[in-house]
Amino acid sequence: MALRRGSATLWRTCSPLLPGLRLPLPGVVCPHSTAAGDLVARTSLSRPPWREIVPEPEEEQRRRHAALVSRVNQQIERQGFGRLFAVVHVAGRQWKITDEDLVLIENHIDAECGDRIRLEKVLLVGAEDFTLLGRPLLEKELVRVEATVIEKTESWPKVHMQFRKRHRFQRKRTIIQPQTVLRINCIELAPRLT
Amino acid sequence: MTSRGTPSRFLKSVLQNGVGRYVCQLKRISIIFSKKAQSSLGVREFIEEGVVDYANKNPGTVVYVSPQPCRIPKIVAEYLNGNMREEMITSKTSAQISELLNKLSSQSGLEVIRIRKPFHTDNPSIQGQWHPFTNRPLSITPVRPPKQGSAE
Repeated sequence: MALRRGSATLWRTCSPLLPGLRLPLPGVVCPHSTAAGDLVARTSLSRPPWREIVPEPEEEQRRRHAALVSRVNQQIERQGFGRLFAVVHVAGRQWKITDEDLVLIENHIDAECGDRIRLEKVLLVGAEDFTLLGRPLLEKELVRVEATVIEKTESWPKVHMQFRKRHRFQRKRTIIQPQTVLRINCIELAPRLT
Repeated sequence: MTSRGTPSRFLKSVLQNGVGRYVCQLKRISIIFSKKAQSSLGVREFIEEGVVDYANKNPGTVVYVSPQPCRIPKIVAEYLNGNMREEMITSKTSAQISELLNKLSSQSGLEVIRIRKPFHTDNPSIQGQWHPFTNRPLSITPVRPPKQGSAE
């Protein structure tokens, strides 16, 4: 066990990550441990619940990464993926979108109804077998997300009321905001990755 | 009223507008005004100057102009999904009326009520929806029936 520190104690008592627990006195040790060496009895608290991490040699890691990248490259080149989804930054928010999606934006856009728009700030693109993450954005030559402006309306009249009790103060007004509805037409990946 | 007391709907489009071609949702516009009243002054000006340009700019919409004896001049807009909207244009200027017409032509006929979510998808999950057993290693080895060779 990676976390064992010489003496055989339960993992939960020697992990520094739990702030509320106090370590028991060092004399308190599992009574069954001594005979076969430094082994603690296997209970639900004797080892951490996550898998043990074995550090990998760098060569192997590099080879594994290169193999993975070439597999993803091949799949992208022959366009062997189905539906793509993307996380796009529009109007101050991030949206997870696919083809044929509707998105409502609470402001006015300088494009007429029926115009085709390209959304440029793409943070992530994924298919069923792989995902491409940007740091923080992906390149424009790699992904292309297109949308059409369907509708430019106004929101329903929202009531904005201020009231302070015992001070005879109240104000009331209705807020109507311009809205734009976008239909995401397509998300395309270009076959070139390093 | 509050959003709980008023009706609401989900974001949608009429017949998946935009997936293929974009279709203007405004079907018909009828401008009802009077020939002599003071309130229809702006409408009469708009009809002299701006109506023909508007009709040429929106080839998919039919424009009807009907002067009748009426107290309040109105614009009645009918949409492809069957909804109708009436707007009063009493004492509006020609510019305001043309702005209103542009707004009506860029709307779809869905009701202007609270929209519950600002997005709509038909395919919410592509890599499979998460459940507590995704990416979880098995805690016990799989149980298999004993091999025939060792049993015999």
